[in-house]
Amino acid sequence: MATTSVLTPIKRRDGLFSSRTAGGRMPLTPSPKTPQRTTDVGAESIHTGGNLMARFSRSVSKNHHKDSPKSNIVRSTNSPRRLELGISDYTLTGTGPSSTRQTPSKSRREGSTRAATRSGKTTVRVNYNAADRFIPNRTASEAVCNVGTGKLNREDQQQQSRPKSSASEASSVLSNAASAFDLGRRGSEEDATLSLEGLSIDDRDEPTSYTKPAPDQVAYQSELEKACGVNLNTRILAFKPAPPESSRPIDLRSQYNRPLKPATSTADAKHRRRILTAPERVLDAPGLVDDYYLNLLDWSSGNQIAIGLERNVYVWSAESGTVSSLLETSADTYVSSVKWSGDGAYVGVGLGTGEVQIWDVEEGKQVRSMFGHEARVGVMGWNKHLLSTGARSGLVFNHDVRVAQHKVAELVSHTGEVCGLEWRADGAQLATGANDNLVNIWDARSLNAPKFTKTNHRAAVKALSWCPWQPNLLATGGGTHDRHIHFWNTTTGARTNSIDTGSQVTSLRWSGHYKEIVSSSGFPDHSLSVWSYPTLVKNVEIPAHESRVLQSCLSPDGQVLATAAADESLKFWKIFEKKPGSGSSVAGAASSSKGSIVKQMTIR
Amino acid sequence: MSGDKEKDKAKIHKLSLKGSSKTVAEFFEYSINTILFQRGVYPAEDFTAVKKYGLNMLVSSEDQVKAYIKKIMSQLNKWMIGGKVSKLVVVITSKDTGEHIERWQFDVHLLGNSKSSSKRKSAEKSGTGDKENTVPDNDETAPPTAAATVTSDKTEKEIHDEIQSIFRQITASVTFLPMLDGNCTFNVLVYADADSEVPMEWGDSDAKEIKNGEKVQLRSFSTSNHRVDTLVSYKLVD
Repeated sequence: MATTSVLTPIKRRDGLFSSRTAGGRMPLTPSPKTPQRTTDVGAESIHTGGNLMARFSRSVSKNHHKDSPKSNIVRSTNSPRRLELGISDYTLTGTGPSSTRQTPSKSRREGSTRAATRSGKTTVRVNYNAADRFIPNRTASEAVCNVGTGKLNREDQQQQSRPKSSASEASSVLSNAASAFDLGRRGSEEDATLSLEGLSIDDRDEPTSYTKPAPDQVAYQSELEKACGVNLNTRILAFKPAPPESSRPIDLRSQYNRPLKPATSTADAKHRRRILTAPERVLDAPGLVDDYYLNLLDWSSGNQIAIGLERNVYVWSAESGTVSSLLETSADTYVSSVKWSGDGAYVGVGLGTGEVQIWDVEEGKQVRSMFGHEARVGVMGWNKHLLSTGARSGLVFNHDVRVAQHKVAELVSHTGEVCGLEWRADGAQLATGANDNLVNIWDARSLNAPKFTKTNHRAAVKALSWCPWQPNLLATGGGTHDRHIHFWNTTTGARTNSIDTGSQVTSLRWSGHYKEIVSSSGFPDHSLSVWSYPTLVKNVEIPAHESRVLQSCLSPDGQVLATAAADESLKFWKIFEKKPGSGSSVAGAASSSKGSIVKQMTIR
Repeated sequence: MSGDKEKDKAKIHKLSLKGSSKTVAEFFEYSINTILFQRGVYPAEDFTAVKKYGLNMLVSSEDQVKAYIKKIMSQLNKWMIGGKVSKLVVVITSKDTGEHIERWQFDVHLLGNSKSSSKRKSAEKSGTGDKENTVPDNDETAPPTAAATVTSDKTEKEIHDEIQSIFRQITASVTFLPMLDGNCTFNVLVYADADSEVPMEWGDSDAKEIKNGEKVQLRSFSTSNHRVDTLVSYKLVD
């Protein structure tokens, strides 16, 4: 006996226990009887055949069998049937209802082998309640011995059964020995099953013998459960997949002291800032040409808005609200682009004929006319005294407005109509976009060829915007078939981010106050979307116009966006409203945007 | 005949059980989230506040954690409706030592149980159960049959108030629970009836009890069909 207990590997125990817990038992806490229990376990595993071993292959080791001659004998004698019963034993214990049945069936078998059913039952009771703990198992095995199955094995069984039953008796006292009990039962059952093999049993007496012990067993079991504080009818199930790793280590100390809503959270970014979604003001813009490729709206640093409406250019003063007609073109052409000079004193006007005029707004007089383009000039951009003009031909000219020979550079690259053109604030780089789906980034010092040509857009590129807080960051938006906003590092030429907006991007404007960018949409949304950068979370989408938004521009204080749409209206949106009291680039932090602009002008 | 009747009864019971199970399961979901947040299993930024039970409940907004909890909840819901769950346990384990350091246990008691599938269970309880006092349960989901004439004695508001006070206690418990070092993970255990259907992802486990742990019983709440007790055990720091 001592030898067998030594032979039982630790591993084996683990494997068995995990299978035993299927019955909902608590982990076994060490008790003085533990070695005996494991003996039983070892012997049992040896008896069982290959199939079961495969099932618990983790825990069964080959040399284990070699070491135990006894077990070898047992196996050779009994293997086929043993195997069957062994499996059923395991599967039965796995489920609740069958485990209750199992116990009676044990005593039934015992009884039938002895051909004295009643005594078999009573011995079971006697066994667990008190008195002679050896009786049931011994009698069972003795019966088998008489029949004449392997004697050696019987001896072995008998020896094992002794400590087993003693353990089971102890368990009625010790609350933590639940499984010892169970194993004890199993041990005696083993005897019974062994004896089954040796005999041919008459199965017909089974039902009668089954019904009788059942109440005893149930009562016994419930008592057992109560004593152990364990419910044999439940099993502890764990959700096996490992929980996701925490993204970073946590210091609870800081956590307990933090506000409920973290300001940095991207998920909360949506709620962080309230964006006004109603227009501040709506103006009519009758005759606004519904053409994606034109740029007919601009807001000057002097807080005046110039808008091209067919053959006219109107200047609307955002301060006084007064409108004046600046010019009217000849009948054979129309205004295709307007652009304020940096100081807000002059406005460049591109015409359908390719002529570019410069007007002094205060005087209401044309300053000069510049020719060169043979197709309409759809886009312009000022860089101090330089005026860049992009035409339908795909050519971009730089004009020095101070000198008579105004054309100082010819930027040849685009093959489609140039509709987007933006100088970087420091004048070092120029970005152009055209109907050939290309974005060109030019270095102001070498205009022979673009520094980078980007082919990612799959439609015309009109929307271009340089980031005010990161000089080498450029955002570009594509047309109907593209719908993407791409973000570029213009130092390396790398694309850093992209957004699929779901509709034609007609303009892009960065906020100077927030890390945000607003895009205006053509088909199909006709909306304004405000995106956080670099998270690219859409903070708000404003259903702005009834038809597509064609142009947009920001007020000089950066708070208000003006949009002109094909529904012939001009709307003002205070989407980048500054919080009162927050320090800003505009001096004075005046209560109204107009006031602050006045101040800015006087500084200038 | 009598068998038919019993069948009928079981049917009604099952329907009314559904709403109650839902309430309890929902409570579990918020409990898990609250514990994960309060005990710093995941960083606070991963959580967003939602209004629930008249409180700002913090639920994970991290996709992986969300999916993980969702998987647990979908199975738990099934078991709850089947009346198979007797305990839900959230165990917090140290990643460094693998030691279980905190264990939140929610005991589920089916009230007035007459379900045929859990006869055995009720038989076990027969010694203590107050059979005469059990009211045939139902809630708003029950069909307006004869059994539905007996209304549940608790309004939704009262249940929510009870749940609210549990969450207040859970939140407050961080004051007496030992400091966690932040390098923790968690596991969810369910004590289910042995005859429950168990999907692949669930497996048998030990109870993951805390050795020599301190135990604190928190409040309970009850719906028409369930009573849920809350218990936290934790490792005493010496």
